[in-house]
Amino acid sequence: MSVAPAAIIPAPGGDNDSRTLALLADLSQALAESIDLEQTLAESARRIALHMHAEAAAVFLLDKDKLHLECRACAGPVDVLGLRLAVGSGVVGRTLTENTGQIVNDTQHDPDVLHSIDKKTGFRTRSILSAPLATARGPIGVVEVINKRDGGEFDTHDLDILRLLAAPTALAVRNAHMALALVEQQRIKRELEMARRLQKSLLPKRRRGKFPLLGINLPANEISGDFYDYFDLPDGRIAFVIGDVSGKGLNAAFLMVRTASLLRWAGKDGLAPAEWLARVNVEVCSAVNEGMFVCALVGQYDPVTRHAVFASAGFPPALLYRNGVFEEFGADGPPLGILDDSSYEQREVALGQDSLYFFSDGATDVRDADRNTIGEAGLRTLIKRYTSLPPAARLRAVVAELQQLRLVDDTTVLLLEEPAPEQRSLLSFSLPARAENLYQLRVALRAALDENGIERNLRDKLVLAVDEAAANILRHAYRGTGQGEIIFKLTREADGLRFELSDQAPPVDVACIKPRDLGECRPGGLGVNFIDALMDEWFIETLPRRCGNRLTMRKKLTLNPGDKE
Amino acid sequence: MNNAVSRETHDEYVLVRLSGEVDLSWSQQVRQEVLAALEQSNAVAVELSEVSYIDSSGIAALVEGFQNARGKSQQFVLIAVSTAVRAVLELARLDRVFLLFPDLETARRG
Repeated sequence: MSVAPAAIIPAPGGDNDSRTLALLADLSQALAESIDLEQTLAESARRIALHMHAEAAAVFLLDKDKLHLECRACAGPVDVLGLRLAVGSGVVGRTLTENTGQIVNDTQHDPDVLHSIDKKTGFRTRSILSAPLATARGPIGVVEVINKRDGGEFDTHDLDILRLLAAPTALAVRNAHMALALVEQQRIKRELEMARRLQKSLLPKRRRGKFPLLGINLPANEISGDFYDYFDLPDGRIAFVIGDVSGKGLNAAFLMVRTASLLRWAGKDGLAPAEWLARVNVEVCSAVNEGMFVCALVGQYDPVTRHAVFASAGFPPALLYRNGVFEEFGADGPPLGILDDSSYEQREVALGQDSLYFFSDGATDVRDADRNTIGEAGLRTLIKRYTSLPPAARLRAVVAELQQLRLVDDTTVLLLEEPAPEQRSLLSFSLPARAENLYQLRVALRAALDENGIERNLRDKLVLAVDEAAANILRHAYRGTGQGEIIFKLTREADGLRFELSDQAPPVDVACIKPRDLGECRPGGLGVNFIDALMDEWFIETLPRRCGNRLTMRKKLTLNPGDKE
Repeated sequence: MNNAVSRETHDEYVLVRLSGEVDLSWSQQVRQEVLAALEQSNAVAVELSEVSYIDSSGIAALVEGFQNARGKSQQFVLIAVSTAVRAVLELARLDRVFLLFPDLETARRG
């Protein structure tokens, strides 16, 4: 070290060991409280020099490259702040590479002492004491003191003290590094969050009311390579887009933003989907990095004719769900960004009241408990399971199930379906109040429930409950006379099904109608138990002017509440 | 709809064979067949593999048969119970009350 005698630090008084302990306590506390590493190290160097009766002290830290040591703090007459030494160079370097303290009392004959700095400053380095800043992961720097002020030599006791004082310094440096890493992590997290928000802002807002398109996008990480979009065309049609950019991370996110913008820009012209894709493909080819591409599907829906026309660039086939059966609609064409003269196929679907699902491959790549991909069959099962729910609730339920499994990729689902009215009559007819007509009721009810996607097991339970209700009306309201009729109505409500059975019989005593104890084994009286067990709610009312009774039963169709779109 | 009830003798057992949808319109007929079978033999089996639907009035006919048999220390079993019937028996918590066997041979062996 190069030192010109100037501000010599005065020697303190007092018993040596107690002073060392006091310094150690003070130093530890100062280091623990400090949040500024440079200031902390400067304070450490000053206090160590003072305590060790040394003319100067310095703290060197290992650079990020692990090849150099840099002086990050010094105390004494010469400022060597910023001095860089190659690892292994000088006594400081030796301290680090050997990870042991060094005592050099004869600097003239120690081969590692660097005399060049002394030559520059005219200062004479007589003795050096150094200790590594040790951590569990190896040394991260060196603390060094120069020249005993009384001209004496450093000894092993001095080295023990220096090692003791180096410990909290090393800890403070380590903590500061960790704090810096944490700050950096937070910064990246904030930036990713901003990118995520930017991406989210590109997704269309959900349209309330009678709008036929619904989308859900689940990023596998902070940012997504998937996107969807829909917008109105001047002629009343609705354009829609769904896409999946290859790769992950920021590159994929940038390409996603770019492609989504291009698709919207080109789609506004109302071009036929095949031309629309071809035009965007040319643009993407000129902008995309080597090895990156975009799978996308674009289309238009005409709410008047209820026809959808679409084209696909390497996107998974669309799934049409009609009367309990799936039909696949592929539309071949290479992904965007591969060949600038690609052409695309176009498909047309008469939608009617059916459901058309578009989904990125993330939806089928979801892993089950055995880590197997659920595939398209798994996705179909999920859709079928919730098909009786209204569109938004159905998508939420499907996505909630996907989330409970393991998402390995961004997952996006776009659903095209004409919204059903809030309440829809599914079945309505009257039957003579005779037992032989119960069969017709069951047949009609089974057909209506099948048509509305109610799965078989639930369907059979509902049929049993309705049949029991009708049988009770025949026996107890009409008292088996065979006179009168039962008016039956099945209505689809927002959250389930409502069954109504009305009669023109004298008012029944509602208080008498309750489930019996199933603990007794006796024939009869089970009908109400069945209704009670199979329906979520039931009640009997006397009709106005006491001209009959109405039994209403409700069955909720389950969905997972609280799922976010 | 092929609703049918028949009675057959198989050694010591009288087998009441039911098929179709057992509901209020003919559960009375089922009841009578079951009670007649118990008059005819000390061991009665009701075969239900072809029953695609049964309501509480059909279940009541079987419960009455079961209780009659128990009162006279007779054997009364249900065999080859279809899925539809089993679901309703479970709903009524009677699946553990009745003796259920896959076939007559197994019922014989008890």
